[in-house]
Amino acid sequence: MNGALVSFEDVALGYDGTPVLEGLTLAVRPGDCLALLGPNGCGKSTILKAMAGIVPPISGTISRTRDGRPVRFGYVPQQETLDLAFPMTAAEVVEMGTCGGLPLGRHVGHAERARALTCLEQAGAADLRGRLFHALSGGQKQRVLVARALAAEPDLLLLDEPLSGIDTPTAGAILALLGRLNREQGLTILLVTHHLGGVRDVIREAIWVHGGKLLRGPASTMLAPEQVRTIIEEDFLS
Amino acid sequence: MKLLLEILSPDFLLRNALYGGLIIGFVAPLVGVYLVGRRMVFLGVALPQVSTAGVAGAFFWHALFHQGELHEGDFWLALTGSTLFTLAAIVGLAVWESHSRARVEERTGVLYAFAAALSLLLVASDRIAEIGILGLLKGEIIAIPTDELLVLAGGYAAIVAALWFFKKDLLLVSADRDLALSFGKNVLAWDLVLYLIIGTTISLGVLLVGPLVMFGFLIVPPLIAGRVTRGIRHLPLAASTFGGLTAFVGFAVSYKLDWPMGPTDVALVCVVLALVVSAQTVLGWLRRA
Repeated sequence: MNGALVSFEDVALGYDGTPVLEGLTLAVRPGDCLALLGPNGCGKSTILKAMAGIVPPISGTISRTRDGRPVRFGYVPQQETLDLAFPMTAAEVVEMGTCGGLPLGRHVGHAERARALTCLEQAGAADLRGRLFHALSGGQKQRVLVARALAAEPDLLLLDEPLSGIDTPTAGAILALLGRLNREQGLTILLVTHHLGGVRDVIREAIWVHGGKLLRGPASTMLAPEQVRTIIEEDFLS
Repeated sequence: MKLLLEILSPDFLLRNALYGGLIIGFVAPLVGVYLVGRRMVFLGVALPQVSTAGVAGAFFWHALFHQGELHEGDFWLALTGSTLFTLAAIVGLAVWESHSRARVEERTGVLYAFAAALSLLLVASDRIAEIGILGLLKGEIIAIPTDELLVLAGGYAAIVAALWFFKKDLLLVSADRDLALSFGKNVLAWDLVLYLIIGTTISLGVLLVGPLVMFGFLIVPPLIAGRVTRGIRHLPLAASTFGGLTAFVGFAVSYKLDWPMGPTDVALVCVVLALVVSAQTVLGWLRRA
């Protein structure tokens, strides 16, 4: 799939060799702003992790290149499942995001610290930089994790349930930030979410994981009440 | 003051024991930071015990095939046994992990029990080995020959250099594997690098100070440092400082009171941890009041 940052060709995904999803074909192109939707357990996070190279495919091909070099990912995990074992400050968590681009033997230096601070400011979390990550609220952690993903200077920002477990104003602020990054900087974004209403004004396209297949279309069509009702009813009945 | 001058004198009889204790006190916590951070504290108990079993196994093997030639201070033989057993245990645990649903605590607990039993069975069959191994188990660090001290210093210098050079990648893979994978890092290779560092640290250290002291310095100083520092940046340095200072004070106390050095060091570092926890608890009460 020419020009795609990430493309799936006839990909099967699952765990312990057992496929959860099969025959997936998908392309994420530069500038896309996509939401991956579907009921719990349908495999949305698995697709996201496969894109980032965290979960290997059981079969099929996943390519991740841009202009002949590997695609840089900014990955935001589900914050309630993230268990950072080390006692890190918010600034140190964001600095981790800069490590992907550093060569072997080079450490986080002034330039990386400055970039981390800029990303914290961008995510509205600069005041949290000295605080221990594990002591932050859900919304604060989410802002820090978004800042960490931005610090990777990504080609593609992947967010797994970035709006779950956080208050409405914070969710609104995160969505507004994502919208700005896509519109103004052309950052490619794919997020997994259940918040259909919240993302309606931000994303351009939506992909439903429905009956083991991917249904993709413009946000206006895929998030239309009739479409949502049909998909949810069919998922519920199945 | 007189005691301090005596200990610090270049002619001090037990100077090698002091230097050995200090080297382990400063370096082991740097490695222990990863054991604590990755919630692998039990591995810090089990691997020194495996290493001790390796020393006992080497002595047993030597006694079996070279009767009458065994010397208590056969350092290289012991180092070989210690290293082989430790590395084999690390590889075995990794293979077990990939083929079993048993929890890490279960695997490590079984490894510890087996290694402890094996050590005692192996030494029971050879009198010289028994003396040496019992000395290790009790942490009696009195006479460390200069050549053994140099091997320890060289090996630990290499470990510090490796920890510094690979710091960013080891921390990334240890703290958030998914992020490391999304950066295209080979997490299995980095795990192997870390386990090799841990294994080398333990197999060298156990040979000179025994499993008790090794475990104490791997685990307790990082726990103290975690309570008095904010964030990861200064944690290794703080842990190393606590470990080194405790090793020095512990040596002085054990020399003055004629106590075994190993247990004195470990008891002291635990007392420091208890004091820090108590002080923080009291300060917390006062703040709330």
